[in-house]
Amino acid sequence: MSEQTSILILDDEPIVTKRLKPSLEKKGYEVETFTESKDALQRIRQRTFDIVVTDLKMEGMDGMQFLTEVKKRSPDTEVIVITGFATMETAKESFQKGVFDFLAKPFKLGEIAAVIEKADAKRRGR
Amino acid sequence: MRIDTDHVGDHTQNYAVQNMSWMKTWRERLQSRLRGRETPDRSFPVLFSKFKEILALNTLVLERIATTNSMLSGDYLFDQQFIHTASKEITAVVERLVYHLDSLAPGKYPGLHAVFNRIQSEIQDELSGRRTRTSGAYVLPYERVTRYDIDDTGGKNAALAEVGNMLGLATPEGFAITAAGYHAFLDHNGLRPVIEDALRRWREGTATLQEVSKDLRERILAGALPEALHREIASGTGSLVATGPAPLVFRSSAVAEDGEQSFAGQYTSVLNVALAGTDKAYREVVASLFSESALEYARTLGIKDHEITMAVACQKMIDARVSGVLYTHNPAAPEKEQMLITATWGLGAPAVAGEARTDQFTVSREDDHPTLAVNVVRKASALRLKRGGGTRVEPVPTEQQTLPALTQEEVRRLADTALEIERYFRKPQDIEFAFDQKGRLVILQARRLSVRPDQPIRPQDLADLHSRYPVLMKNQGVIARKGIAFGRVRIVRKEEDLVGFPEGGILVARYASPVFAKVLAHAAGIITDVGAITGHLATVAREFRVPAIFNCGDATRILPDGAAITLDAEENIIYQGTVKELNQYRMVEAPMEEAYEFRLLRRVLRKIEPLRLLDPAERNFVPEACQSLHDITRFIHEKAVQTLIDFHVYNMATPQSVSGRLELPLPLDLVIIDIGGGLVAGARGRVGLEAVASVPMCALLEGMTRPGVWSNEPMSVDFAGFMSSLTRTFSTELADPRHVGRNLAVLSREYANISLRLGYHFTMIDAYVSDRISDNYVYFRFFGGVTEEERRSRRARLLNDILLEKDFRVEVHGDLVIGRATKLDAEGMRRRLSMLGVLIGFTRQLDVRMVDEERVSEFKQHFNKLLEDDHE
Repeated sequence: MSEQTSILILDDEPIVTKRLKPSLEKKGYEVETFTESKDALQRIRQRTFDIVVTDLKMEGMDGMQFLTEVKKRSPDTEVIVITGFATMETAKESFQKGVFDFLAKPFKLGEIAAVIEKADAKRRGR
Repeated sequence: MRIDTDHVGDHTQNYAVQNMSWMKTWRERLQSRLRGRETPDRSFPVLFSKFKEILALNTLVLERIATTNSMLSGDYLFDQQFIHTASKEITAVVERLVYHLDSLAPGKYPGLHAVFNRIQSEIQDELSGRRTRTSGAYVLPYERVTRYDIDDTGGKNAALAEVGNMLGLATPEGFAITAAGYHAFLDHNGLRPVIEDALRRWREGTATLQEVSKDLRERILAGALPEALHREIASGTGSLVATGPAPLVFRSSAVAEDGEQSFAGQYTSVLNVALAGTDKAYREVVASLFSESALEYARTLGIKDHEITMAVACQKMIDARVSGVLYTHNPAAPEKEQMLITATWGLGAPAVAGEARTDQFTVSREDDHPTLAVNVVRKASALRLKRGGGTRVEPVPTEQQTLPALTQEEVRRLADTALEIERYFRKPQDIEFAFDQKGRLVILQARRLSVRPDQPIRPQDLADLHSRYPVLMKNQGVIARKGIAFGRVRIVRKEEDLVGFPEGGILVARYASPVFAKVLAHAAGIITDVGAITGHLATVAREFRVPAIFNCGDATRILPDGAAITLDAEENIIYQGTVKELNQYRMVEAPMEEAYEFRLLRRVLRKIEPLRLLDPAERNFVPEACQSLHDITRFIHEKAVQTLIDFHVYNMATPQSVSGRLELPLPLDLVIIDIGGGLVAGARGRVGLEAVASVPMCALLEGMTRPGVWSNEPMSVDFAGFMSSLTRTFSTELADPRHVGRNLAVLSREYANISLRLGYHFTMIDAYVSDRISDNYVYFRFFGGVTEEERRSRRARLLNDILLEKDFRVEVHGDLVIGRATKLDAEGMRRRLSMLGVLIGFTRQLDVRMVDEERVSEFKQHFNKLLEDDHE
């Protein structure tokens, strides 16, 4: 890996970021995590991430706003949506465009690592 | 004529009777017969559709439970939302089961609703955090405490009880005063809302920590113990002093303390308690739950308000000659492979509190534990038990003051014991110990040691390990339990190989056999060639926190016996040798099972998963005895089959009946309900094999009745020796007539639904065989009963192998085996059904005979031979 791929993770349940961060860092990624979308929003205004992993938190719709903002600011950022099984269909309908992949929670740590690897390969291939 | 081809067991309700024209016709026929005795909606087709729905939901529940449990492997990322959704789904399915049984047998099991509602609300309470039940014992003696009681007894009690009960090490006699006792105390004094309110004010900033802490502590110290709590504590202390007088110690065992999170030193211990002072000591320990530092610490760790609960340990004090503390690693430099010991004369409390001068020993973790450094200080005084009760500080005789508190031999014993405890809990340990006047080593406490090296390994330091260390296997198999382990490979090919299993060895085996459960407390890791993460061994590996990778293909071939390896069951890599970075990372990594989500899921599963209701012949096979949703599911399944049989027996067994009882050359009582062409015209009452016209049933019976399949039949020559060994030791379980019967087949010409209970096996077959290939299916479901886990699991594996060979799609969830074959021509279906018939005869004996691993392949060979002999 020539330079470190940067990943931002946003999920309002701390367990998600708490477990994803070390798991991805072990694979050599640079990882920042957020449980509040406003903080994450602030962060992406400061810098660009190569990959963004976000829950949609369908109640508040803030995940959607966040995602839209990410794509607006840096169209090259690959976005991966993670959401509960129940909200998956809505998620897919809402975001057919611009999302690299969807993962229904719960998923295996290996599964998300594989998706991120693919997104990273695509990004580097550009 | 067409049957809905959805298989029983698919997660749908598509057994819509209205699509089944054959049923419609039959129903009209039947209704005319039943008119006046039964209301129309109690007609057989309606009952049967409900029955099939029950079977499908039953399977669904078992599958969901297994899937949910597999989340505890740590390989999945799940959140609270998942726990809520999964519990809700399982509960909803069980509620439908209750509803369906009620419509199948209206008003017959009124107790079931109440039991369901109770368990449902218990699950709801767990989910919403209202873990505040005052039911359950207030006092639990250590002999009865297991790891599962941690939410009742707190970490300190549970860990100490485990050290005593599982490792057989000496620990103080004592008992836990449970979380239920704590809640009863709060309720008795009306403190619950007061605490909630105070914590809220602190959180919102309208009260200071000091105010809140002082207020709550004062109220607790002024509280009275409810009579029942007082009585249970008195009875507990009474039996402690009955074995010899000694002062008591009351220690904190907060429910989120030790073992889960280490609240070292945050709470109060009260030493030297006399029988008259127990209530006061209890209150003092409880009050320390709300000390400023403890409250602050709980907040830092993200412990939820409702989780703050104080269980208490009441123990008999040890008359210690010398006491101390041992760390199994140097917390500041874990890579040094050292243990640190401090020790002083007499009781340990002053040493633990840092008030006494202590000798310090630095000891190697390696075998024989040579002492690397000693610092002996002058120990002028010691805290000792007074004769007749109490403690006092006594001067130490001059000549002893500068002697080391521990001899070399004691250091070695201590170090060995500490490593045994560390291996068991799989994390560095902080252990309080004492040597008593008789020289006996007593463990007073064991909890996880926080290791904080100066330069901690960061996850990113592990990114390129696989290019720096030799990799033996990578991404082979599935992670059954996450974690990192180091040790030497121990290949186990048969059960006898388990004898003398080396402490800290990595068990490598062909199959994930539950028989290995008995050495898991001593194994560092498990690797198997074959095995499912939903199986029994996976569940046990999670309980014992043993890193495990299953289904690796050929680990037994690749990994050399005795070789040192590193098992990284996080990244799914097996390295040759010891990867020291991983070793260090493992020590500092927060154990995932301490996360709130893991605790919550475990608590919820306790209301869902355990199956205690086993034998329908037992008197307590009643709704009221159900303690989990699994129990309810099991009860309903049994009663559903019974209801259909009763319906036949009491409503339809007339000379004109369309049904009958099949006379077989086998000890099998089978009731047949013919719903259209299942029996030859005119057959009724007691019928023989020749009367069966149902295509799938004929095929199945052909297999079941083959010579050699049922043990009392003649058999081919070389098979005879094998089978005779079976009959000689035939289990009483099979001979017992109560366990034979309750077998039911619902038949039409092309269709068969068969429910069998043989011994404690529950087999269900649902099949449709016609000339239309696309409609054809065979569904086979097998669920084991009460025998040991090992045998059941071997049997499940055997079934899995056999079914796969015969082109079934197979799922195995613990004991549950589901096989499906679809869209084969009629001949293909008949052959598979006939094979299933042979299999049923076989599996009936397997529980009894599956005594060791070799039997699995032996049985498979004989099974295949039997199929060939008669078939090909």
